[in-house]
Amino acid sequence: MNDVLVVEDLVCSFGGVRAVDGVTFTCKGGQITGLIGPNGAGKTTVLNAIAAAVHLSRGSIKWEGQELAGLSTYQVARRGIARTFQISNVFEHLTVLENLLQGAPPGRADSLRGALFGARAARRWEAQQVEKARELLSRCGLAEHEDQYAGELSGGQKRLVEISRSLMSDARFLLLDEPMAGVNPTLGEQIAEYLRELVSGGNLSMLMVEHEMAVVSELCSNVVVMAQGSVLMEGTMEDVQRDQRVRDAYLVG
Amino acid sequence: MSYYISSVLIVTCVDLIAAWGLDLQFGSAGINNFAFIVFAAAGAYTASVVSLGSSSALGGFQSYVGGSHWPFPLPILAGMAVAGLLAAAVGAVALRRLRGDYEAIVLLVLSLIATGVAQAEIGLVNGPAGLSLIPKPLVTGLGLSSLQYQWVYLGWCAFLTALVFLFLRRIVRSPFGRNLRAVRDNEAAAAAGGRNVFALRMQAFVIGGVLAGLSGAVLVEFVNAWAPGSWLYPETFALLTAVIVGGRANLGGVAIGTILVPILFLEVTRFLPSIGYPGLIDSLEWVVIGLLTLIFMYWRPQGIFPERRRRFPSRSSGAIGSGALLSSRSAFSASLAAPAGSSHVAKSTAAPE
Repeated sequence: MNDVLVVEDLVCSFGGVRAVDGVTFTCKGGQITGLIGPNGAGKTTVLNAIAAAVHLSRGSIKWEGQELAGLSTYQVARRGIARTFQISNVFEHLTVLENLLQGAPPGRADSLRGALFGARAARRWEAQQVEKARELLSRCGLAEHEDQYAGELSGGQKRLVEISRSLMSDARFLLLDEPMAGVNPTLGEQIAEYLRELVSGGNLSMLMVEHEMAVVSELCSNVVVMAQGSVLMEGTMEDVQRDQRVRDAYLVG
Repeated sequence: MSYYISSVLIVTCVDLIAAWGLDLQFGSAGINNFAFIVFAAAGAYTASVVSLGSSSALGGFQSYVGGSHWPFPLPILAGMAVAGLLAAAVGAVALRRLRGDYEAIVLLVLSLIATGVAQAEIGLVNGPAGLSLIPKPLVTGLGLSSLQYQWVYLGWCAFLTALVFLFLRRIVRSPFGRNLRAVRDNEAAAAAGGRNVFALRMQAFVIGGVLAGLSGAVLVEFVNAWAPGSWLYPETFALLTAVIVGGRANLGGVAIGTILVPILFLEVTRFLPSIGYPGLIDSLEWVVIGLLTLIFMYWRPQGIFPERRRRFPSRSSGAIGSGALLSSRSAFSASLAAPAGSSHVAKSTAAPE
């Protein structure tokens, strides 16, 4: 499989503290790459940097050969990179179905011009998106919750809404920040199954930050280990579990 | 009495336009525009100076910049344009990085500065005395008695209010309106979905500003005078209270809130026997308006008529494409049927973040 996302010499500093200090790794197409490491290693910052939610001090992020550094969050999203958040980030006062509609790629239909001068086209567009959203909702078992406000759902259900929302855009790359955090085991199983099914198509790749090692070894073919802002090693989960440096890093914290 | 009723109704129309404009910014897009009245004032002053004629015309007793005799309805359009431009300029600075409380503080200070400048810079819009003798549009051409003119003007205001209602309903029900509510709920997630948060907030801010300008211009052509005392910052809070009491992001609710708070409440107090020193009741009104905001924010932050839950017809109903895509339960039954959890959820965001 080819490399779809290439991160090179990434540096992010916040007021003199280098949260991420020269990180280099690659993600292969059609796979889930795991990003693990002790607390404070800089994993979420790497995710934020790729999504342009934080400013890079140095380095390059190439997505299918194109440079992402310097773009804004919404521009990165429009190139097909979607994300979920560590603390689930749903639109609490929008219904579950509306939450998914917000994941649909923006265009003329949802612009001000579309609202004023193209109401009919906007309705047609919306009807298509509603159909697509319902399909995704029934795939993840949330079909009967479509009219509920997303703020009324459980943590795990919110996570499913978030993942489904990111799929509305036909994203080809997903950044997942601890998708299993605060999710009960049954629902966690369901999310893992969902993710596996999604990458099996071959068109979607993911970078997943996760603390649950069982999930990582089950889903990720390649694992990047970070500690204190830099990459400790990269390899399969078996390699990682054998490595003494990794054990030390986790023990030191 | 007929004169009084028509006057109250005209002011109701003006306040409805303003409250809906503020609701688009505050209720839909989540912008805490504490300077809303400044944009109404900009519209009012603009409509005044382009209809008053040269400042030396009436013996030069008032001084202001510009001055022309534009025919109806150009002064109103000019007022809307200037208020919109002002909103674009203010928004370009205030909406870029500031959020929540800080955004509110900056806009509140802007409101205070604007009053200060208008009072101190006499040459701009005649300082603290303000502008007067602003002509009523078409008053000579129509040849009506002043009472008849009142009712005709009310018809014109009602027409504009209906237009604004239809315009806003179109916006809030569209996918664009949902983008605004998404930005209000969670900016990071909206941006992660490819939405340009700044552009969306700016669009809501400018549209709200234009509507503020419209309300100011229509009001000034009716009352024929405009001074800094007419647009002090508490006026913004009267409108904000109307939005909070009626129900944010619900056009019908905001209309009820407007009729209850700035109209009914402020008019009824006129008929109370005067107590204490002169002006006591006027001052107490503001105390009560502040209390109303607090009470609603604490016990019913979603307002009397909460935001409607958008439902989409199922595929089997065949409504897709028929224009009835957006169905929503009546706000009233929704408020009754809402589970206990939802009012709690509403409370958590209505509080300033």
